[in-house]
Amino acid sequence: MSLPAPNRILLVEDDLPLARGMVENLRAEGYEIELVQDGLTGLARARNADHDLLILDVMLPRMSGLELCATLRGEGKKTPVLFLTARGEPDDRVRGLEAGGDDYLTKPFHLEEFLLRIKAILRRWEWYRSSVATAAGPVLKFGGNEVDFRSFNAKSWDGSTHDLTEKEAMILKVLAERPGEVIAREDLIERVWGMDVYPSTRTVDNFILRLRKVFEREQQTPRHFITVRGVGYRFLPEGSEP
Amino acid sequence: MVTRVFPGSGRLLRPTIIALLVISVVQVCWWMWDQANYARQNMERVHALYVDDAVAARRLAATGMSTEAIHVLFPHIEADGDGNLIIAPEAVTALEDGRQKHITQYIWESGFFLCVLAACIAILWRGLHEEREVRRQQDNFLAHVSHQFKTPLASLRLSVETLVKRQPPPEYAQQLAQRMLDDLSRLEGMVTKILDSARLNRGRVIFHNTRIELAAAVDNVVSRVMDMAQKHNVTLQAEVPAGLAIHADPLAVENVLRNLLENAIAATARTGGKVVVSAKSDRDGIDVLVKDNGTGFTAEDGRRLFEKFQRIETGDQVSSTGTGLGLFIVRRIMHFEHGRVSASSAGPGRGATFTVTWPQAIGDAVGDEGASA
Repeated sequence: MSLPAPNRILLVEDDLPLARGMVENLRAEGYEIELVQDGLTGLARARNADHDLLILDVMLPRMSGLELCATLRGEGKKTPVLFLTARGEPDDRVRGLEAGGDDYLTKPFHLEEFLLRIKAILRRWEWYRSSVATAAGPVLKFGGNEVDFRSFNAKSWDGSTHDLTEKEAMILKVLAERPGEVIAREDLIERVWGMDVYPSTRTVDNFILRLRKVFEREQQTPRHFITVRGVGYRFLPEGSEP
Repeated sequence: MVTRVFPGSGRLLRPTIIALLVISVVQVCWWMWDQANYARQNMERVHALYVDDAVAARRLAATGMSTEAIHVLFPHIEADGDGNLIIAPEAVTALEDGRQKHITQYIWESGFFLCVLAACIAILWRGLHEEREVRRQQDNFLAHVSHQFKTPLASLRLSVETLVKRQPPPEYAQQLAQRMLDDLSRLEGMVTKILDSARLNRGRVIFHNTRIELAAAVDNVVSRVMDMAQKHNVTLQAEVPAGLAIHADPLAVENVLRNLLENAIAATARTGGKVVVSAKSDRDGIDVLVKDNGTGFTAEDGRRLFEKFQRIETGDQVSSTGTGLGLFIVRRIMHFEHGRVSASSAGPGRGATFTVTWPQAIGDAVGDEGASA
């Protein structure tokens, strides 16, 4: 591997034969991997150690994968999460992603797909981190708002502070890289989640609504996050004419 | 086996039945009103005829016909105290009674009709409801079962793909092959349990009950699950005294014991636990006790323990990989074997004891010589 340091992955899976197979394959790909078999231990490990990715089975003893992820997100932990589950209904996928997951893989999965998904998540995360590091300033200022992409902290025009989620920050980053341009919902999904993850583009709309809630003076007449009907969104740092 | 009903039939059922009832009640009310009207008009018509008869009788009397002869011609005409010919009060009363009787008869008949209709609708409703319930259970069953198959399938696929992708050294390839065999065993075990539970659920089982030496039967099953126990660091002990014999089907006994032991091992897996099988004889038969120091369960969980797909999530139990059918199978077998099964636990984390009671083999002395854990 050409990476300076291997990516560290925490796998939480209670079925030992399956977990062993995953661990061996991930090691062969050059990842550094830690395996735990129940939700509570997984939570403790995710809290105390620094991982680049968490792979969580949804059905775990002691604490479900969804609960584990939601708890970590509630504590401000941004580590990306890949869910594994035997249930593949659209509702389950949405629930997983709303708990703060980045991707969702249904059992039984293909080894190649499993490895590709992991690479894709790590690559997106890497993009975010490197673009924040190389940007002229990791701080975005617009319309009296201030966003620090490194710490995910945001200060809005009314002086209140907010802790952005990883996805909110990524969406904002994608929009802010091309100010004034129309960005399709599909492009946003591709950049932030990966195209095959979300069942509908409406989820993006929900994230935009949350961003408006934090950054717009009047949510009904947004001046920075403009909807382009049928296409996507346009970000205007200066604000549109009222 | 699955009955297909077009979508939406369930939703339409309730309003349709209510509409049917309302229409029937309205129809019956209309009949009642119509019949009351008819009876009244009928009475008025007859009364008008009586009045005409009275006039005719008076004319005949004027011609000199005797009152008796007139009464024979017109039985409902009689002479009052003053000798005037009038309609007999009994005849008027009889007309009124006839009308009442007619209405009463229709009230009873309509009531009966409505009762029969309501009963038919109730039976129909119940039938449809039961069918819907069965369909729901089948759907749940399918969803649950396919879900249970996916983890061993995922493991199996991963092993095969690893073999193909990595071209591993012989030693690792051997390990992968062993893992595949284990996954296949898991899948086979699941298929067996699903088939068992389906057969038991439909009652399509034949038991050949015979005399079984309990100690030997327990040893046999213990040796079969010993691998699983060792894999999970569980100590497994059989303390069944020799000489106890039950009257049961050998395959059923093996199935029950294996399910109970597997269940106990899974429940103690993470705590390096201990599972003890013991037996004792009492008045009702022979009790076999499977006692573990594992996760235990709450009283509430205990009530639904023997239902299908009930898996108890307490403490550090390894539970997402079972079929959720084992204890259901045990309960059904014991039902057909005229035996009993019960479970007790002091609470979560404090172990559990499962007791199955079989009839004692005939010709055995009943005593309390059995050991207990």
